[in-house]
Amino acid sequence: MKKLLLTFCILWMISSCTEEKVDAPFIFDNPEIAINIPADFPEVNDSFFTNKPTKYGVELGKKLFFDKKLSRDNTVSCATCHIQENAFADQNPKGIGIDGKIGFRNTPPIQNLAFMQVYNWDGNKTALENQVLVPIITPEEMDSSILEVIGKISNDATYIELFHKTFGDDTITGERIFNSIAQFEYTLISANSKYDKVKRKEGAIFTDNEAQGYQVFKNKCANCHSTELFTDQSFRNIGFPVNPNSEEKGRTRVSLNAKDLMSFRVPTLRNIAYTAPYGSFGQFATLKEVLDYLDKGVIESDNLDPILKDNNNRIPLTEKEKENLISFMKTLSDLEFITE
Amino acid sequence: MNNLKKYLFLSIISLAIISCEDDSIPVANNVTLAFNNTFGNTTIVLGDATSTEATQNTSSENQVHHFSEAKYIISNIRLINKDGIEFPYNVNNLDTGATIIDQSNPSTLQYVLNGIPSTEYTQIKFGLGVKAALNTLDQELFPAFYSADKKLHWFWATGYRFTKIEGFYGETNTPLSVHTGSVLGGDKTDETTWSSEAAHARNAYRDITLDLTTNAKVGENAPKINIKADFNKVLSGTNKITLNAATEGYVSGSAPSHHTSPETMVQFVDNMGGNGDTDITGMFSIESVEN
Ligand code: HEC
Ligand code: HEC
Repeated sequence: MKKLLLTFCILWMISSCTEEKVDAPFIFDNPEIAINIPADFPEVNDSFFTNKPTKYGVELGKKLFFDKKLSRDNTVSCATCHIQENAFADQNPKGIGIDGKIGFRNTPPIQNLAFMQVYNWDGNKTALENQVLVPIITPEEMDSSILEVIGKISNDATYIELFHKTFGDDTITGERIFNSIAQFEYTLISANSKYDKVKRKEGAIFTDNEAQGYQVFKNKCANCHSTELFTDQSFRNIGFPVNPNSEEKGRTRVSLNAKDLMSFRVPTLRNIAYTAPYGSFGQFATLKEVLDYLDKGVIESDNLDPILKDNNNRIPLTEKEKENLISFMKTLSDLEFITE
Repeated sequence: MNNLKKYLFLSIISLAIISCEDDSIPVANNVTLAFNNTFGNTTIVLGDATSTEATQNTSSENQVHHFSEAKYIISNIRLINKDGIEFPYNVNNLDTGATIIDQSNPSTLQYVLNGIPSTEYTQIKFGLGVKAALNTLDQELFPAFYSADKKLHWFWATGYRFTKIEGFYGETNTPLSVHTGSVLGGDKTDETTWSSEAAHARNAYRDITLDLTTNAKVGENAPKINIKADFNKVLSGTNKITLNAATEGYVSGSAPSHHTSPETMVQFVDNMGGNGDTDITGMFSIESVEN
């Protein structure tokens, strides 16, 4: 017995010696990265604080976001629908996923999501980490499963190294995938538009049209499109044409309350010039069409937002006002965000 | 070393003693739950739109209907003995403690609980659906249950469908479709922000409590508990539901499908699973216990 033990000890000593000679010890060093929170932006989502972006977490999340292996047949990545040139939205009325299948709703931009409390058109998720699995398993999007994804990427040395650098060991789990993609998303902050530069007094100034458009906006739109994100994150029915898919009930799908029928989260208007078409299923091709519709009159219903209801179901706008509003909305374009 | 020998000897002796006891009364045995899915007292025969064999049922609101599919999830099973002690059966493991009852597949109608401690049971509790903490479509934790029936995945809500009924009603055999499930989506922070009424509707999991008509004597016997699920209650339970053609857009009403009328889902849920308060049996009852 004693002999055996001794042999073991010796063997162990030998093996640890060789190990040290060959490999430098792994030092886990994955610092949090500094996130510049733009002045006056709304409160950060709680989940951000439990999953703060780290150097390698973001790198890993970005790699996953652009990786088609997340889909069943390796043809669709998150970035297939969330395209940077379109502020991580796309130009289709409704999302187009695996086998060219057409989804249910318009693809929203991915920007400033750290400052949102509710996600998707109907707010069915309240943390980005919980959103990632949905496109991976949805048959019209990526039609895969988390074990399938883990299986595919666990053969890839680059991934193994990145998981190691991010989490301190090689283990690949769903939670780690979700967290790192969310970390990448948290870093997608757009706050360098002309509007921001005017606000921050960095030398930019509004043209006359833009300034007048801003005035109209404050009077007629800022009730809902408020805060520096241009959304108050509330759910409202503003009587847009209704999605012919009978599954679409708006917020009611989540609240199970008839008062929320066809109510949607007020969309942000940042980078709005890059995210056409508009509306929850891309029912408007241009900003002009949206404004014409609001001006002409929307669909009446019991739960139509009082701001429209008390105003003959419309937001009256002159042609000049529309033109100026569009000029103003274009000042929310952040060229750096879509190119860098 | 001497000590070790002593321990070994002792454990062998005690093992021998335990196995001696084993021979007379087993410490544990199986319990089989057998589900009988009915309209009233008639076991349901499924059938497509024009089937002549399918069991027809008439609701309290006089709507004739039959089903082509009836599935539901049973989980969180607990047996309570005559001293009031609760024996949970793999309640936190969907792979070993939950099952999908599918009327089209006879082998799913019986669910065997293994290794139930020997004693006399007077009551059974189980969940219709999956409790919120486990209802996250977590394939890593529960790969078997995840893959058991993907038609029960509720993708956007990242949870399971708890019941899925397809069928037809009325003279022209209009399709009906009742899907229920929780819309909490596994969001940690979410639940607290809702009113109790909204939370009740959004969490479609229902705990069922049934008193056994005869005590189930586990030991030498491996009892079988026959449970009836009376689907007449779907439309004619505490809530009397009239099916309307699927509505589009703004019109709300008691449309047949959860999808087309989510605001009425809770009525179906409460009819099948009770409201957790004044009704803790829903559509379930004990038919008999075979010891
Ligand atoms: C087939 C196109 C498609 C793919 C692929 C896709 N998405 Fe999306 N994404 C959408 C659509 C459409 C929505 C809106 C869904 C809704 O509101 O019901 C959305 C919504 C989102 C949102 C919420 C944005 C907001 O404003 O609240 C996030 C975050 C997101 N997707 C991230 C991802 C990630 C991460 C992936 C990859 C794992 C991905 N998406 C893959 C189309 C897609
Ligand atoms: C009562 C609240 C409210 C007011 C006032 C309002 N909006 Fe909106 N807006 C919304 C909601 C909610 C949506 C999404 C509706 C939908 O898709 O059904 C929306 C959608 C939009 C869209 C489409 C965004 C996209 O990404 O698809 C634009 C553009 C827009 N609004 C601009 C304006 C302008 C300009 C004004 C002022 C003239 C205005 N809105 C006034 C609530 C409002």
